Amino acid sequence: MPGFDFSNYNRNAALHARGVPLPKATSTGTTIVGCIFDGGVVIAADTRATSGPIVADKNCEKLHYISPQIWCAGAGTAADTEFTTALISSQLELHSLSTGRKPRVVTCMTLLKQHLFRYQGHIGAYLVVAGVDPTGTHLFTVHAHGSTDKLPYVTMGSGSLAAMSVFETQWKPDCTQEDAMKLCSEAIQAGIFNDLGSGSNVDVAVITADKTTLHRGYVKPNERSQKLKNYKFKRGTTAVLNEKIITKDEIGKYVSVQEMPVAEVEKMDVDS
Amino acid sequence: MDTLVARYSRPAAHQNETFGADQDEDLFNDMAPTLSLKFAMPPVAQPSAWLRAATDDRSNPACPIKIAHGTTTLAFRFQGGIIVATDSRATAGNWIASQTVKKVIEINNCLLGTMAGGAADCQYWLAWLGMQCRLHELRHKRRISVAAASKILANLVYQYKGMGLSMGTMCAGVTKEEGPALYYIDSDGTRLPGNLFCVGSGQTFAYGVLDAEYRYDLTEEEALALGSRSILAATHRDAYSGGFINLYHVKEDGWVKHGFSDTNPIFWKTKLEKGEFTNVTSQFERIER
Amino acid sequence: MAMFSQNPVLNGPNYSFAEVPRDRVDGLREHRFNPYTDNGGSTLAITGADFAIVAGDTRLTSGYSINTRYAPKVFKIGGTNSNQSDATLLLSVVGYAADGEALKERLDAVCKMYRYRHNKPMSVNACAKRLSTILYQKRFFPYYVHAILAGLDEEGKGAVYSYDPVGSYEREQCRAAGAAASLIMPFLDNQVNFKNQYQPGSGEGHALAEREKAPLPREEVEILVKDAFDSAVERHIEVGDGLQMMIITSSGIEEKLLPLKKD
Repeated sequence: MPGFDFSNYNRNAALHARGVPLPKATSTGTTIVGCIFDGGVVIAADTRATSGPIVADKNCEKLHYISPQIWCAGAGTAADTEFTTALISSQLELHSLSTGRKPRVVTCMTLLKQHLFRYQGHIGAYLVVAGVDPTGTHLFTVHAHGSTDKLPYVTMGSGSLAAMSVFETQWKPDCTQEDAMKLCSEAIQAGIFNDLGSGSNVDVAVITADKTTLHRGYVKPNERSQKLKNYKFKRGTTAVLNEKIITKDEIGKYVSVQEMPVAEVEKMDVDS
Repeated sequence: MDTLVARYSRPAAHQNETFGADQDEDLFNDMAPTLSLKFAMPPVAQPSAWLRAATDDRSNPACPIKIAHGTTTLAFRFQGGIIVATDSRATAGNWIASQTVKKVIEINNCLLGTMAGGAADCQYWLAWLGMQCRLHELRHKRRISVAAASKILANLVYQYKGMGLSMGTMCAGVTKEEGPALYYIDSDGTRLPGNLFCVGSGQTFAYGVLDAEYRYDLTEEEALALGSRSILAATHRDAYSGGFINLYHVKEDGWVKHGFSDTNPIFWKTKLEKGEFTNVTSQFERIER
Repeated sequence: MAMFSQNPVLNGPNYSFAEVPRDRVDGLREHRFNPYTDNGGSTLAITGADFAIVAGDTRLTSGYSINTRYAPKVFKIGGTNSNQSDATLLLSVVGYAADGEALKERLDAVCKMYRYRHNKPMSVNACAKRLSTILYQKRFFPYYVHAILAGLDEEGKGAVYSYDPVGSYEREQCRAAGAAASLIMPFLDNQVNFKNQYQPGSGEGHALAEREKAPLPREEVEILVKDAFDSAVERHIEVGDGLQMMIITSSGIEEKLLPLKKD
């Protein structure tokens, strides 16, 4: 059966009633914003993902692809924003293929709100939907319970108040792309510095009628400082109880090996 | 029920529930004893229920205040006196708060107390007991008996019954009248004389080893080794016990300390030199069933 | 009935009343008395041969908000004047800031009175015991704080005493407390007490000798403190903004303020 699997629901509810804590989902206590300008729309997000008070990911991507000209910024439960946007992206692609037209932002927003309303807020996805389609430039917010808004500038997530304070003091109608990018980036930075759930870098996506540009790490105001001391241990510092060496040739005995081309992967920032 | 318990079980010293004014008293009055028995109370109808919600992580895993707990302690009488041994781990929830706790409290030079349950409760009340014992000495010109000392403590905790104190303690000492004497006292008010006690979350593991090897006519060397080995067994199987083994021997002319030794090297020594703990291996091969 | 269980310690960490009514049957609902807020932040203290360092971040939070970026958590205790220029002790408190403030004020008053009466500053071990009793006085309505007291002992060696909220205390080489204690303490165990470090080539398997313990020099400890906080800031949202470091030596108390990340 497609969709969600509820087979563990009763068991987990019973366990929870007996005092077993629910597993903690990684939530993106987040700042996300969006702002329309003449000829397009900008959305931006911070890059911190938290699990309780612990930073789970210092540089996660909260701007999600829906279609080439429609992007989504997600706050709330990380897995829910990830999968909901992917699901709607897929439905929208099929819809676009069967109608032979470019996907529209309203369609995307409607699919999202109907999906989220059906699950009565249990899917914790709070989204900013933005895009340019044949009917023009659009910017929406979609809440987890299914309500939506259409506005020229929007903010969401735990840092939404900090970010909105920037918009409410600096936003002017008819702004240029540069204005909108600067405004969005400053709004995100307000969230990064004043909201504990938000942090690290600013990601920005600019959508215009002819192209979409994703600026990953548009501003990096929180670079990690260098450690003052070198924490490399002398070889042999750790006690070893027993050792067994498996050579590269032998490894095929334990797992199936396949040579892979080295892909471009984002490297994590670690000590040298 | 809670209200009833609170009303009737509160010691007289606690009738005054305001705080502030009476706290400053000991600041300016030098005569007030340092270990004052006035405690600040939360301004609610059932202080014990409130305290439980705020500090007891078993009834409320999300409680804001985690109090240090978890232990293995043992003491036994034998022909050469009393052996007292403990581990040294303090846990607060799943967090190991310390691996170097001194769980044997030296009440005076011939009386020892052990610490299980709330660390602060044991530390404070055993220090208080030390004061009472000293006062007894000054008043009566002779040392207090272990029976009397343990009864002072038992009476005290019984006054606080239902208020949330948590302690399981043993008093060990040697006096002329009693010879070597050992008592178990807990925060329920239980007070038992006995030859052999293990207390704490690792008590069952310690009993397992201690009961199997215990004889009254153990030599001093054998007795010390048995105390140490029992704690080792408990630290091996009980996650809430560990750290160091704290060993004491109480004799006629006072107690003697026999070290505060790391369990890890002792464990490997026991395994490799005596061939025990064969359950632990460092082999990579799977055990075939 | 669980209330009369034979041994309160046996059933794991609990009190003599184990079972709690979880759901109230009657329609009445009592408003919960909730006097505590977690104000985040983290502290740590390390001793050396002739000094002790106490440090804490200066962020004060509640929930996802920053109340202030500069609220000191480390205090000089027991000086004779208002700027504490002749203080000989350091106290750090982390947890609920209001309780921390109250505790600091109280201990400071006690130390001052002692100094006026005896015409000498309170020794660190005497103050340590006194702090324990102050905390225990509120056993049934605890100060929601993790306190660390530091100073120089009677031999001039660095001394650090750490406390739980109700006054159980212990002298230690180093201690981390507060929000990021679980991030910093393992680092300190390894770098200050050399836990899990062995001397390379000193033996085979279990005969390996542990790395010799030696008190660290002051420069090294200051570096460890900064690195510990830099790392804590990376992974804990409630730690950041500023690092307040107090160093106590025989020539007095020195204070340093270093920047930390502000996100």
